[in-house]
Amino acid sequence: MTKKEFRKLFNNRIVLLDGGMGTLLQEAGMPGGVCPEKWAAENSDLLIKAHRNYVEAGSDIIYTFTFGANRLKLSDYGLSDETVELNRTLAQIARKAAGRNTKIAGDISSCGSLLSPFGDIDFETAVDSFKAQVKGLLEGGVDLFVIETMMDLQEARAALIAVKELCDLPVMVTMTFDGPRTIMGSDPVSVLVTLQSLGADAVGCNCSSGPAEMVEIIEKMKPYAKVPLIAKPNAGKPTLKQGKTVFNMDAGTFASYAGTLVEAGADALGGCCGTTPLFIEKLKECTQSLRPVQRETKPYSLVCSNRETVEIHPSLPFTVIGERLNPTGKKALKEALKNGDMELVAEIARSQVEAGARLLDINAGVAGIDEKVTLEAMVRTVCNTVSVPIVLDSSNAEALESALRIYPGRAIINSISGEKEKIEKLLPLAKKYGAMFILLPVNDQGVPETAEERIDIVREVYNEAKKFGFGKEDILVDGLVMTVASNQSCAVETLKVISWCSKRFKVNTTIGLSNVSFGLPAREHINASFLSMAVANGLSTAILNPNNESMMQNVRATDVLMARDLDAKNYIDFYSGQTKSENNTVKSQASGKTLYDLILAGDRDAVEEAVRQELIAGRLAKDIMNMVLIPAIQKVGELYEKKEYFLPQLIRGAEAMEKAMKVLEPELVKNSDNNNHHHGIIVIATVKGDVHDIGKNIVAMLLRNYGFNVIDLGKDVEANHIIETAKKHNADIIALSALMTTTMNQMKVVKELMDCEGMTCRLMVGGAVLDNSYAESIGAYYAHDAYRAVKLAEELVK
Amino acid sequence: MHEIKVLKCLKPVYNKSLILSRLGYDKKRTVLSGEAMREVERLILYTEKNLNLKAAYRVMDIIRIDAPQVVLSDGTVLSGMKLSELLKDSKEALIMCATGGSKIMELIERLQAEGKMSEAAIVDAAASEITDSALDLVMNMVGQYLRPKGQFLTKMRFSPGYGDFDITQQRDFYRLLDGETLGISITDTCMLIPEKSVFAIAGIIGK
Repeated sequence: MTKKEFRKLFNNRIVLLDGGMGTLLQEAGMPGGVCPEKWAAENSDLLIKAHRNYVEAGSDIIYTFTFGANRLKLSDYGLSDETVELNRTLAQIARKAAGRNTKIAGDISSCGSLLSPFGDIDFETAVDSFKAQVKGLLEGGVDLFVIETMMDLQEARAALIAVKELCDLPVMVTMTFDGPRTIMGSDPVSVLVTLQSLGADAVGCNCSSGPAEMVEIIEKMKPYAKVPLIAKPNAGKPTLKQGKTVFNMDAGTFASYAGTLVEAGADALGGCCGTTPLFIEKLKECTQSLRPVQRETKPYSLVCSNRETVEIHPSLPFTVIGERLNPTGKKALKEALKNGDMELVAEIARSQVEAGARLLDINAGVAGIDEKVTLEAMVRTVCNTVSVPIVLDSSNAEALESALRIYPGRAIINSISGEKEKIEKLLPLAKKYGAMFILLPVNDQGVPETAEERIDIVREVYNEAKKFGFGKEDILVDGLVMTVASNQSCAVETLKVISWCSKRFKVNTTIGLSNVSFGLPAREHINASFLSMAVANGLSTAILNPNNESMMQNVRATDVLMARDLDAKNYIDFYSGQTKSENNTVKSQASGKTLYDLILAGDRDAVEEAVRQELIAGRLAKDIMNMVLIPAIQKVGELYEKKEYFLPQLIRGAEAMEKAMKVLEPELVKNSDNNNHHHGIIVIATVKGDVHDIGKNIVAMLLRNYGFNVIDLGKDVEANHIIETAKKHNADIIALSALMTTTMNQMKVVKELMDCEGMTCRLMVGGAVLDNSYAESIGAYYAHDAYRAVKLAEELVK
Repeated sequence: MHEIKVLKCLKPVYNKSLILSRLGYDKKRTVLSGEAMREVERLILYTEKNLNLKAAYRVMDIIRIDAPQVVLSDGTVLSGMKLSELLKDSKEALIMCATGGSKIMELIERLQAEGKMSEAAIVDAAASEITDSALDLVMNMVGQYLRPKGQFLTKMRFSPGYGDFDITQQRDFYRLLDGETLGISITDTCMLIPEKSVFAIAGIIGK
């Protein structure tokens, strides 16, 4: 079956797939614990019957019963040597059952173990395992392939590459989702973009859930789908009834979702676990009058990792491509790459993304190292560290191929020029792995000086790319930035190229920004101005240093001015916090009430200055404490009790109080106003054997800021030490925390020692496994949470 | 599927509202400005980035359930009434573990040392929840492997330390999943280090 014939199947009709096979064969007598594929091959009459039931029910495409017949999975049954033969046989059986009008899809699914980095299976091992299966299915005469029930996008890619490297038959790929993402965390759009770019002829989801939950997945894929979309859900959820697994949805209810799924964008429907030929028959009835919804044909420039998709367009917020993973001129990175040390790569990746990079450029160009090995290692590290998509910056075809092959998303190649060799080597590579590419307007004659010459090269390369099926949406043109230090007119030529690409040719653009100022002092001024000018001319992306904050300020501001940041939302989100902080400082100069507000707001940054302003204004320290701070912290507690505040707000209030008291305390001491400052002395500790103490630390901080003198002994503290300290300081309360049932007995030990020593102080306890009855049983008082510990302590010292 | 399978570099889907619940957030009553919520979200993302999530699991046959005792194929005896109830329809059990690694604990300590206790509390809650979500991921993944065989997992899972399922049984889980290879250590009092580590068991239902 050709790809064209496959697309024709979807003309003005909903394509029907088959339903669950496992249940049918189990009912036909397949025992548990056997290799299902082997058993089916040995019981071909039963398998033919099951397939025929689906053909008769109306399936346009049936799947071979080879779900788990890849070499790795078959090795669980010691059958890996039979991979080709078994797949051939099962495909032939399906062919026999299908008749003339039903197509056979060679079914491939997971190898049963996770691929690297999640598991131990190497990418190429998985590709080889699938290839053996593909070979057998091809020999058995399948019309097309289906890769289904994949949890990990990388494994789906491995299977797709295996098929593509052995034949040109159409391939459908469906993944299984858990809520809004696949089990390994990919979102529907990234799944779609990755797979359709890589050459899948239909994409979608199967298994996962019932039909209702699948609607949202299909809806999300629909706007970006260039290929038909598939929905093949389960018959609801499984339950156990009289010792048998049954699904909770009947055929009629299942099929009633057909209209909704088609409206959401599904072009092909079928069933997965729990569905039978009756479900397909009902689906046929429900879909006969349905037609696939017309799709918007707008081309999108989409690049993605396995978890995140970025759309590039001159009307969307500017896309910053982080430039710092390039060893040129960076001694430390160069050394790290030479030594194969990827820690620094991870750190640079993380810091660029935190600073606002939406894509990361990766370059492994260091003299004397194996670029292929290093680029691949850098790609793996970046993928494991951040979620943003990548730009592969290399002219080495071999290195590019190995990186593209293992990248679990859609990358951008930086770059393909008009040089003959580049076109011949790199365009097929970009096509094979579905990558976007940066078009560098340079040819074998060198770097053209004028915009007109560069535009000619852009047209030429684009015409070549079109032959491979690339559209303008798959290309970013490099405006080609040269330094103005050697030729001042070159910046204007670059701007002309950008403007032409954006306004006339309608293609995205990029620049390597910092080249413009090379050789000049104070380069950041030139860079910032040039960036603004280029954005005004329609620049979509730039490769720059996102850790240069002034550059990022420029990007944010330009997005607002060019109406790329709708309603200035991103700008306001980014800067609103800083504005508020300044306002608070100003307000705090005006009145004591504002200091109260600052404690309530837990504003640690502004509170010290506010207290100083109060003191400068002549207010007495004790008045500030008694009339502002204490009422404020009490109000924070009240709000927490009413659940209007949650724990971090309670803590922030206490932290703000702590800062305020630090400014106030010297004044209180100076004026002897500090005599009655604390309510009492508390010795606090996490008990012996308990090494987790954040809960105790929160309690200690709150107690301090509600006026107690707290002596914190830390964690894993011996009972004797607690007793000695309490005696030494004449403590009013011993407060103990324990997280585990195995350690809470230490509380009893402390209490017994207290009694032995005849101590009159109270014992207060808390922690995850404690309750009031345990506290009472050892003669202690129980505090359920940090704030109740404060209230309890206040009661105990009354 | 009976050997120990180890999963690395996990980025599970997690529910932000469960992190907020751990911090006492009440959807109807807690008042939080947009800016404060963004700060919480930033800290959750920070946690996500700094967790080094690994998980391990194995499937074991259940030889006998004689409430409260559950006897596994290697002779391990687990004990708990609710556990026995959970596993009553199961002939096999999924034993699993997830750990967030030591770096996140160092960062929580550092935040506390810097006097940023509220941030530490948020990161701590987020780390607990996201580590727990890694067990959801394991269950979803194993559930998917089981489905074609007509099997599925119990909705619930139990961890030692809850109800009458004694915390000391963490030692059995530690042994069964070879906790050391995941970088976990266990104290005499059965505490797990790094703290953001969790063991659990669920039942496999169906033939």
